[in-house]
Amino acid sequence: MSTILTHIAISDGKIKRSSLEVLSHCTQLANDNGHQSEAVIIDANASQYVDDVKKYGVSKVYVIEDPIFKNHINTPLLKALTTVMEQADPYIFAFASTEGTKDILGALAANQDAAVLSDVSEFNLIDGGISAKRPVMAAKILSSNEAKADKILVSVRSGSYELAENETDGEVVNIDFSFNESELKATLREVIGASGDKIDLSEAEAIVAAGRGAKDEEGQKLINELAETLGAAIGASRALTEAGIMDPSLQIGQTGKVVSPQLYIAVGISGAIQHVAGMTNSKVIVAINKDPDAPIFDVADYGIVGDLYKVLPPFIEELKKIKG
Amino acid sequence: MKFYVCIKQVPDVNAPIQIKGEELIQDTNRMILNAYDASAVEEALVLTEKHGGEVEVVLIGPDKAKETIRKALAMGAQKATHIQTSGDENYDSSTYASILASFFKDKEYDVISCGKQSQDTDAGLTGSMLAELLNLPYATNAVGLEIEDNQLVVKRQGDTGQEMIALPSPCLVTCSNDMNEPRIPSLKGIMQSKRKPMEAVELSSLDVEEDNLAAKTTVTGYQEKPEREAGKKFEGEPDDIAAEVAQLLDTEANVI
Repeated sequence: MSTILTHIAISDGKIKRSSLEVLSHCTQLANDNGHQSEAVIIDANASQYVDDVKKYGVSKVYVIEDPIFKNHINTPLLKALTTVMEQADPYIFAFASTEGTKDILGALAANQDAAVLSDVSEFNLIDGGISAKRPVMAAKILSSNEAKADKILVSVRSGSYELAENETDGEVVNIDFSFNESELKATLREVIGASGDKIDLSEAEAIVAAGRGAKDEEGQKLINELAETLGAAIGASRALTEAGIMDPSLQIGQTGKVVSPQLYIAVGISGAIQHVAGMTNSKVIVAINKDPDAPIFDVADYGIVGDLYKVLPPFIEELKKIKG
Repeated sequence: MKFYVCIKQVPDVNAPIQIKGEELIQDTNRMILNAYDASAVEEALVLTEKHGGEVEVVLIGPDKAKETIRKALAMGAQKATHIQTSGDENYDSSTYASILASFFKDKEYDVISCGKQSQDTDAGLTGSMLAELLNLPYATNAVGLEIEDNQLVVKRQGDTGQEMIALPSPCLVTCSNDMNEPRIPSLKGIMQSKRKPMEAVELSSLDVEEDNLAAKTTVTGYQEKPEREAGKKFEGEPDDIAAEVAQLLDTEANVI
């Protein structure tokens, strides 16, 4: 019997849904293969998330609570992760593929001499390791991969698995942890433009994404109004973040965030492969574009061919009526 | 400051790709400088032009990867090291990191930089692996770099905001392609690149442990991604089609 450990990422005072997706899958794998599913929470207020994590079939929850984890800094996070790996001795350690994970996954693998597969869209146990699928070549193609080792790290794209609650009375293990400021190799000076009360893109149920076609003030106003009507998060194509019109943290695509909402509305986005790579896991895609040949229509469930300035006002009005 | 920029030659993801059996076939076989690495080269050039210093590029790859090294030299890097491999090896991120760690063991530098990922595999692991193996302070996914008081100040894109991190040298940073627009080599740059030093290093001379040269992961095949089917396209009076789609999102797709 081996341990499959899942890292629970916390962002803006909430557990990331993508972490619970990974945990749901890991619990399933553990139950199907006679292993145990465990989780670890590393945060300034880690213990307050324990009850929610216990709903997902874990036999143990490790808790590392320290004020140093208020912001993401890689050195203390790596120390905490290596500490928990020594204690839990996981065969597989799974993560949601957040920016925080991307920052430390390679370093943790090198430190632990573990095999690692990043940003997979699915993984399963095989004899001696795991098999996994990864989108490659700007997510045009899937590669099949295997990792065989005594320790395996894997990070999973958001939206790859459904949540599956499975309440158990898991044991809570508080791990002693201390971090001396002198161990910090780098200094975090400040965090700019933290999202605050904005909806986190990678967690959003609905997203309105703006492209080059919506770059002027009138376009931005319509985007905001549409998002507000739907309670949606706002995203952007690279064209708008690069032009400085929208915040870089809102960029969706191969370079930016990978999203998987229930509803994705692409407004004035042509649909370059790099953008599509970040949003094809959305359940329903709506595209609004005046060019009938725009590649975004190839992936859209509902394509509206038309000038966004003429289409959005009646679209918003109708949605308001439906919302009542 | 002395910058080493680790660069990689990758297939052009924009060129048409086919899958035959489970093999990946690119008819054009067009190989290019990884776009994220190009941004790392550009940023190192900008910083050394402003603050003084030197940019050296390092590439692991077969003979034909020399053209990619020339590209970086033509952009303005002063010299290059080519760690030669046959190109048929099954290397993964950990292999590349181990080879680079052996190469850097006896080198002096202020900053090692590289792209945050390769645009073909998008794994994004080698940078932080190398930092760990060399025990260097590091930051990934940089969208801006500055030098202040001999420290590298990195603006990195995090999950919810941008983090400003000051790294003492020597350090390692991985670069996003959002930080700059890599320069296109001038004719003069291309001419000069031919006279710039490119040192060839035999892999065997780096004494990488046998264990570390063996990849821990393997690619067993490639498949087409299940394509999304294009759905319905609506053309006509904006008022009518907008209202119709809004209704369908509610009644048919059930997402409102």
